[in-house]
Amino acid sequence: METATREVYWNISHHWVMYVLLVPTMAVALYGVWRHVQRWRAGKPVVRFDRPVMRLKRLIRFGLLQISLWRDPLTGLLHAMLFWGFITLTAATTVVMIHEDLNIPLMQGRFYLYFQSLFVDVLGLLAIVGTLLAGLQRWVLRPRRLVFSGEASCLLLLVFTILVTGYLLEGWRIAVTDDPWGHWSPVGRVVADVSAAFVSDAGLRTAHVVVWWFHLVLVFGFIAWAPYTKMRHVLTAPLNIFTADLDSRAGTLKPLDFETAASFGVNSLEQFTWKELLDLDACTECGRCTDACPAASAGKSLSPRDIILDLQHQLHEADVSVLSAASKAASDPDSGPALPIIDTRPALSPESLWQCTTCAACVEACPVSIEQFPKILDMRRYLVMEEASLPPMLAEAVTSLEQRGHPFRGAQASRTDWTDGLDIPHFRDVEDPEVLLWVGCGGALVDRNQSSTRALARLLQKAGVRFGILGRDETCTGDPARRIGHEFLFDAMARSNVERLESAGVRTVVTSCPHCFHTFRNEYPQFGAHLEVFHYTTYLARLIGEGRLVIDPAVTESITLHDPCYLGRHNGITQAPRDLVGRVTGRPLKEMRQHGAQSFCCGGGGGMSFLEEEADTRVNIERARQVVETGADTVAVACPFCTTMLEDGLGAVSEERSVAVKDIAELLWDSVSSDSSDGDASTDHIDSSDD
Amino acid sequence: MKILVCLKQIPDPEVAPRDFRLDENNLIADPASAGLVTNIFCENALETALQLKEAAGGEITVLTFGPAEAEDVLRKALAVRADHAVHVINPGLLHPGSSGAACVLSAAIRKLGSFDLLMFGREAGDWGEGQTAGLVAEHLGLPFVAFVDSLQTTESGLHIVGQTDSGREELTAAGPVVVSITNSDANVPRIPKTRDIMMAHRRDITTWSLEDIDLTEDLVREAAGSVEVTELFIPEKDTTCEFITGDSADERIDAFARRIVDVIGSI
Amino acid sequence: MGNVISCFLPGTEFDRAAQGLLGAAARLASACQVPHVALAACVSDTMTEALERHADRVVCIRSGLLSNDHPESCLAAFHAACASLDAQTVLLGQDARSQEMTPRLGYRLGGCSIGDAQSIDMTDGGLSVRRSVYGGKAVAVVRASRTPAVVWIRARAFEPAAERSDSVQTEILDVEISDGIAATQVTGRQEESRTGVRLEDAPVIVSGGRGLGGPEPFEELKKLAGVMKAEVAASRAACDAGWVPPGLQVGQTGKKVAPELYLAIAISGASQHLMGITDARVIAAINTDAEAPIFRHCQFGLVDDWKNVVGPLTERIASLLQ
Repeated sequence: METATREVYWNISHHWVMYVLLVPTMAVALYGVWRHVQRWRAGKPVVRFDRPVMRLKRLIRFGLLQISLWRDPLTGLLHAMLFWGFITLTAATTVVMIHEDLNIPLMQGRFYLYFQSLFVDVLGLLAIVGTLLAGLQRWVLRPRRLVFSGEASCLLLLVFTILVTGYLLEGWRIAVTDDPWGHWSPVGRVVADVSAAFVSDAGLRTAHVVVWWFHLVLVFGFIAWAPYTKMRHVLTAPLNIFTADLDSRAGTLKPLDFETAASFGVNSLEQFTWKELLDLDACTECGRCTDACPAASAGKSLSPRDIILDLQHQLHEADVSVLSAASKAASDPDSGPALPIIDTRPALSPESLWQCTTCAACVEACPVSIEQFPKILDMRRYLVMEEASLPPMLAEAVTSLEQRGHPFRGAQASRTDWTDGLDIPHFRDVEDPEVLLWVGCGGALVDRNQSSTRALARLLQKAGVRFGILGRDETCTGDPARRIGHEFLFDAMARSNVERLESAGVRTVVTSCPHCFHTFRNEYPQFGAHLEVFHYTTYLARLIGEGRLVIDPAVTESITLHDPCYLGRHNGITQAPRDLVGRVTGRPLKEMRQHGAQSFCCGGGGGMSFLEEEADTRVNIERARQVVETGADTVAVACPFCTTMLEDGLGAVSEERSVAVKDIAELLWDSVSSDSSDGDASTDHIDSSDD
Repeated sequence: MKILVCLKQIPDPEVAPRDFRLDENNLIADPASAGLVTNIFCENALETALQLKEAAGGEITVLTFGPAEAEDVLRKALAVRADHAVHVINPGLLHPGSSGAACVLSAAIRKLGSFDLLMFGREAGDWGEGQTAGLVAEHLGLPFVAFVDSLQTTESGLHIVGQTDSGREELTAAGPVVVSITNSDANVPRIPKTRDIMMAHRRDITTWSLEDIDLTEDLVREAAGSVEVTELFIPEKDTTCEFITGDSADERIDAFARRIVDVIGSI
Repeated sequence: MGNVISCFLPGTEFDRAAQGLLGAAARLASACQVPHVALAACVSDTMTEALERHADRVVCIRSGLLSNDHPESCLAAFHAACASLDAQTVLLGQDARSQEMTPRLGYRLGGCSIGDAQSIDMTDGGLSVRRSVYGGKAVAVVRASRTPAVVWIRARAFEPAAERSDSVQTEILDVEISDGIAATQVTGRQEESRTGVRLEDAPVIVSGGRGLGGPEPFEELKKLAGVMKAEVAASRAACDAGWVPPGLQVGQTGKKVAPELYLAIAISGASQHLMGITDARVIAAINTDAEAPIFRHCQFGLVDDWKNVVGPLTERIASLLQ
């Protein structure tokens, strides 16, 4: 039997014209790519090609398997269809090229039948289905997160037309040549049969020639245009994923060298690193970041997607030579921004920048590893440190941090009020201490949280843990200063805290607040700290595991759990709090719609708990609604800021049914003390501290 | 325009009441019980001065009388771009009072030369008398306007707007004038730019002893002695609150309402 | 021994503050067994008559330059008058002009000055003044060791004076004011447009704090204040948050009020806030936290969430007052 194959330029004469057309096509496409590369290269240096194996693993997970896309099954499916369809079609075209132009006969035999015919045919069909689904999404379902641009619609129609014309060409060739292996291309075969039933061979031949050139023009047009559209992500996304920051979790901010930095924060394109500029071009406009953003969901103007896209537009409009020159210029603080960004476009307004809770849901949601919120923080740093321009209530929090070491202006409690009657020693007075209990400002100074702190201390006492506190010697870790953007203040606070802990001989710290925990664990090492750090949930879970603390299920109310961003998303701790709640109820929890690493912020992070929000766009009310949805009696929390934000939010939404907010330590202590007589049950009261 | 702003360092008024203690021997707040801050009304005065300078040009000198630690209030003022800072060191007088402070400040101001405008805070958050500005005006023989919340330069001199009991009063001053500044929406103290904080630490501060301004400790003590502090204590709260009780919320609200109506009826 | 002089500046009316000032001066004078001289300038006939019923002597300053209530001429006139009246103690009220004048008058008379007196006493060593210091966290007693002592007092907090059985005749004192007073010129005055009474003069105040959580609840407070014929005030936190205008702020950096009844709703009672209400006769509070510091200054209180209370309370008070 004859070897299976097909003639490459069947029915096409003058196919050399194609090679001629290829030259300008590639020139235009490569020019586009080169322009991008040139812009990125103007960015500040940063090392992002080290540890290739680790990077490749990330690339496989996020670039090839695209695991984060599957969180939305429809998008996951349609993108996989398009992605694998295109990979296959590109491979098939490459095979044709090798076969024809390099004269290496690949297109024959089983390979031709199984891959080049059958596999490609089926994957191409899937790609068509993918475009249809994408069309369904874009024109019918219309999710809010998408950008409804003409460009996106054109691209989709173009891809669809390329795919369909491809099948027409294949079908008509099969029909006219009466291809003996045509049934290996089932879609082509169907097209052939249907076409042959209506049109003569001669008609098909003519149509074939016309459509072949049409198809060619579309494909070349697509190739040439792609780098100038969001389709550039086929190159930039994998590159961006490969060069992602491996060292720090999204919530970990970088220190600044105040002696050498040309700018404290960023307000100009040339102040970004090349990777941060690449970030802008990696965006696929999918909008998952804005969809996940609590501020945007609550109806505020902040949109991480639009921040990236507005920055991208600024970048594309910038003169590359100016960008390059500004980036290389000697650092001169007085020269001002060469290519300013803040407030140049709607999404870059200070108002929006001051809405970010630093929850990092945007970063978590991004399928191509763009870091949205660190850019917001960079711009906030600029506003705070270079312009001293920040909302008055944040300025007050900053001033209070500076003057009295806590962010709560007008706080009436002292750092040790909560210890009344508990006999909690100062750390220096503890013999052979196991841990320092770092209470945090939220746990000590806000009335409502004092009962949580008391419960935690009693649990530690009950477990026989040798612990002490710093009492009046404790000051804020600096977290609010850093997230507001006042790195200078944070720097000073961090250094003094690290030194204080060092000189006090502290090795292990248990914090009541996830923000303190995050700062100790991930950010103080930047200032030379070597501490073992636990959030109290993991520490208590460990005490229970070691049998030092015994918790019997004694709580009967149904409970849902709010994951604090700085515990769950920023530090990956989602199981310990669930285990603890499980201990007190003996039942699984009622999970909220968004939980774990996808949890929805209480609205209090990033210094936002010190700001007044507009009544109709409050993040804590959004979250409170999710709490109410579960039907639970109580929402368990593990963060003093979440506690007050949620109590506030629930107070505003639940008219008919009230949901209690309890710290996990309170729940545990309720459970411990209900079967022993040595405890006062924790009490709930709303903080009304005032001046 | 040459502007002088007098600044006072005080124990943080926002220290938690439980942390606040007194040094009963010296009849002052225990220095260890509260951090030290710039008096808020002085910051309002400095902010008003900065805005005036931004609008009309000029130079701002900040002046303080206090112990070595008081340098901090001058550094903070330099960080928001005051031009010069002068520190008259308090050699250890515990109660200079308004009279002692006014004596020192006016001597220092005489040595500094003439100013077009001398600004003070309305009162200080520690002793809270609001006497110093008026006393300095008298020492220097200058006119004085209190409770000022905005200032503008005009062709005929300084246009001053002060708060009165029934509204606002507008004045003009042709020559040098002493004002005490009260807080308003417009003079909320700014926070410094980071670069300016860093620069402020490298700036020179003129430091004078009492002798440098032709005074002696005895002279200041004598001025201060016109008012003596005889007692200082933390008051016992003698009010006991009667908590309204009742079996139901309605009952409690009713009882509470009746108490309120009783009080209103007794007026 | 000299006289106790009470000073009534141009425009003073016979209000609660004037009554308190007269009371304070009369009691101090009788304790020292010296005459109480009421010294006034450019006040109404009603005011003069009232002074005549309360003081041992009434002296009215007459000077052509005083009518405009110009600070420098006012000071010069009162200085000249006090100097001619053998002053032992000079008391002023708490209005802005009196506060402004106190240190300058003390200086010019060669005596001393003290501000913000909450109570005054004559001791062997001189006039002794009690005043609140350190943002209300402490109380100081200070003594004037040089006479005359010129003191402005929290006049509204002092008991009014008893009326005399007779009434004295006002003496007119002509005062020459030198020309050196033209360093400042008053060019205008604006009376603040107000719908109600000034907070400082309000007999009843309903005040809200951070615990209210937003601007909307103040609408409910306004309704409550409406039935109580009260003024609405707020803590610094509520003003800072922009829920109500800053002019409503009561406290150390806001207004110092002296109502007969101060109802604090969702205010915890930081010492800076309490500084502004030390002169209130009755303080009542509604707060969720029984431990809130405000309750330590209250005559009576209700531990409850304001949300559950304000509506029904408004109705209840309205019906009780009918």
